[in-house]
Amino acid sequence: MRTKRVRSVAVAAVVAAGLALVVSACGGSGGGGGTSATTSAQGQTFSNLKVVWGTTDYMDPGLSYRLESWQLFQDVYLGLVAKRYGTCGVGAGCTKIIPAIAQSLPKSNSNGTDLKFTLRKGLKYSNGETVKASDFKNTIIRDFKLNSPGIGFFSNIVGIDACEANPTKCSSISGIITNDNAGTVEIKLQQPQSDFLYILTTFFAAMVPSSTPQKDTENPPPAADGPYYIASYKPSRSFVAKRNPHYKPIPGIPTGNPDQITALMTADLSRSAQLVQSNQYDYDENTLPTDRLKQLQQKYGTQIHLWRTPSTYYFFMNQRTPPFNNIKARQAVNYAINRQTLVDLRGGLGVPTWNFLPPTYPQYKKLNPTPYPYNLQKAKQLVQQSGTKGMTVGVYTQSDDSQAKAQGEYLGAQLSKIGWKTQMHEIASANYFVVVGNQATKAQIGFTDWYEDYPYPTDWFQVLEYGPNIHQIHNNNNSNVNFKDTNNAINHLAHLPPTQAFTSSTDNAWANLDKTLMTKYTSEAPFLNAVITSFFATRMNPQCDVFTDLFDDPAQMCLK
Amino acid sequence: MATPGTTQEEFTLDTAAELAAEEGGSKIEGKSPWELAGRRLRRNYTALVSLGIFLLMCLVCALAPLYTSHVSHLGPTFANAGGVIHENGQTIHVISQGGSSFSKNGQVHLTAAGIPIGPQWGASGGPYFFGADQLGRDVGTRLLYGGRNSLLIGITASVITTVFAILLALLAAYFGGATDWIISRFFDLIWAFPVILLGIALGTSLSINGFHHGPINIPAGSLLIPIAVIAFVFIPYIGRPLRGQVLALRNREFVEASTAQGAGPLRIMFTELLPNIASSVLVLFTLIVANAILTEVALSFLGAGVQPPKPSWGTMIADGENNLATDPWLAILPGIMITITVISLNVFGDGLRDALDPRAKVRMEH
Repeated sequence: MRTKRVRSVAVAAVVAAGLALVVSACGGSGGGGGTSATTSAQGQTFSNLKVVWGTTDYMDPGLSYRLESWQLFQDVYLGLVAKRYGTCGVGAGCTKIIPAIAQSLPKSNSNGTDLKFTLRKGLKYSNGETVKASDFKNTIIRDFKLNSPGIGFFSNIVGIDACEANPTKCSSISGIITNDNAGTVEIKLQQPQSDFLYILTTFFAAMVPSSTPQKDTENPPPAADGPYYIASYKPSRSFVAKRNPHYKPIPGIPTGNPDQITALMTADLSRSAQLVQSNQYDYDENTLPTDRLKQLQQKYGTQIHLWRTPSTYYFFMNQRTPPFNNIKARQAVNYAINRQTLVDLRGGLGVPTWNFLPPTYPQYKKLNPTPYPYNLQKAKQLVQQSGTKGMTVGVYTQSDDSQAKAQGEYLGAQLSKIGWKTQMHEIASANYFVVVGNQATKAQIGFTDWYEDYPYPTDWFQVLEYGPNIHQIHNNNNSNVNFKDTNNAINHLAHLPPTQAFTSSTDNAWANLDKTLMTKYTSEAPFLNAVITSFFATRMNPQCDVFTDLFDDPAQMCLK
Repeated sequence: MATPGTTQEEFTLDTAAELAAEEGGSKIEGKSPWELAGRRLRRNYTALVSLGIFLLMCLVCALAPLYTSHVSHLGPTFANAGGVIHENGQTIHVISQGGSSFSKNGQVHLTAAGIPIGPQWGASGGPYFFGADQLGRDVGTRLLYGGRNSLLIGITASVITTVFAILLALLAAYFGGATDWIISRFFDLIWAFPVILLGIALGTSLSINGFHHGPINIPAGSLLIPIAVIAFVFIPYIGRPLRGQVLALRNREFVEASTAQGAGPLRIMFTELLPNIASSVLVLFTLIVANAILTEVALSFLGAGVQPPKPSWGTMIADGENNLATDPWLAILPGIMITITVISLNVFGDGLRDALDPRAKVRMEH
């Protein structure tokens, strides 16, 4: 997903086996350091956690595709399985999956196309309804009826074709067989898919009662099966989450410390920081403003946590239109940008990168030597050689995100220096990806970023770099990357037998794919992996802060 | 903005006796109304000083290329984010450098970065006299080029507005009937929209892909777009009061005399009516320039006016807003320039109105 932004519906099915291996890999090494998950609230409960939160798109798990909602949803909506509730560190530690509503991880056949879950007994939603196996099937059907941005994730389920053809008329999915009495859910896939278990951890698969209206439900949002429920939500203004009175503790899932989470929602980073700095609020969900980072760090160092994220910020280059249909032009861009400067423009909150896959992945292999060291002279030569010197290039970026705006304008300035005429197109972030994701816009080059939905490389290469996944509208493959050999490689890696999906040779294959795309084809101009901040008021104990791969867990926050 | 007191009944022309009474005993015989107005204006030192300040501001901004070539040596759009300057043997980064590093236990260590250097007051030998913005561009250079753009847009848009408003007002008031009804409803239609909202709507839609219809091709990012948008939204603010004045004049004796002599509509409109509303046009033009500059600033601040990387005082304030805590001058400097320009124009406009028509009822509320 993108920060604060919605992405497209189309995520083609990844076909590869390996569920058993996923499970074993997930249960493997613990990765880097950090605070371990707290599953008991004993002794650390308090009445009200006051937070300042970023604005979001929806507060319905079937519709929302933004970090701000998902961060809250982790304590509200549970699916059959969930990502581990602990600070994951780096590498394989981030990939662990635990059973949530299901008693255990699924039993599956040898190629992973038939998954069988058994639900825990006695679970109830916050409205008192019993959690039933059929709720899972109805949740997926509801996603289709809502035309959810997540429906593409389920395209490999048997019998999904009718729903895909006409989402709003979706009424049944033959590949999901449920038995409420026995509490079982069986999911049949058309072909093996290595990341399917990860997909079940996304909130599009988080269960809501079958009685939930099949439309955007936000005031209040759908009943919850997690430790908290959202009692009220005023879009862009506030929300209140309270303890789910019917929640029955599930191992590995924190019951939570605050009895209530009260949020003021704002996209104003300075205001957000000021409210926590003055101790009016306990936690700042927004990233600290660049210009105040140093000052806040010096004054409130122990109250600020910094986290590396599974993200890559990059400039897309549309390969369907000149000049970027010419590899020399794409190489010129990569030589023309000083990645350290781009990190500086983000206040230092990042690490320069030349890879597409972030270093938090076990499949990551740093490109060495650095393929495109900053070299304006070489960039000028490449523009000259490409025969596109003097061409007008439209540079797209966001108008209301100060960091994206600065990075986009920096790109425009650099392109002017190497021989192109640039024309800036600054668009409000709410519409930005809709505009650049529409082929009619013919956006040539611009800012973009990507934060993982789940920790497997398909979320990067298949969504963003895969030819068959190019769409007319809501296109995430903004560069229109479409190379026969890399398409085949992605397809091949997605079709590996279970025993090979998570081996070191497969990891190497993903790493080679990264290298091929970034060096042989120069498909993108990646420039940094983001670091984000967590800022706590003085009454809070930052030691309780648990960062679950993408965001802090508010349920595990505690007082000093 | 509104222009009360400009209806047909309220409008009067000064008689010679009235003017003589207001001249404090000075002779008015043999003096044309323009000479009398000039004499009054010369006595109004506040207005003259304001005019001087405004002209000085225009001159300073017009000399922006000289500042670039002789002082800053940096163009208005030259981003020097990764650059350095040398001062007293020291190397200083234009934008502070930093970054994040990781320890083995996964902890992140941050060296905060991205803060532009402040005003150097000449210590660097010219560049960054007023500091750098967040992309390492020279604030002084951008301030002058931004002023050029803001003044160019404000003045050009006001000229276009005034020309169209005069034409429409003359047509509406002279011909009356259906012509008047259509033009008046057009004025009402634009008037009904708040200026900024209409400007944002037009500016945003045109700034993405430009305007390409028939023989007219205006690329996105062209200064012609904010000029056209601002010129359009202000037409009724001059057109309506002028129409009222022309309505009052068209039945006066001198118009009837001209008609009796066989003059056609065009001749009457441009040789009889227009000279008689010239003083109001001049006053309204002065005041609309100030409003047009403010509108340009507002639209550019909101991203619907001048498009980056071109500077304008509005875009500079918007850029500086993100650095208010550490580099407030980035927003304050263009703010000061706008304040000086608009106040000087408004004070001069008031003085001009007092000089041209001491008992004038033409007012622009803003």
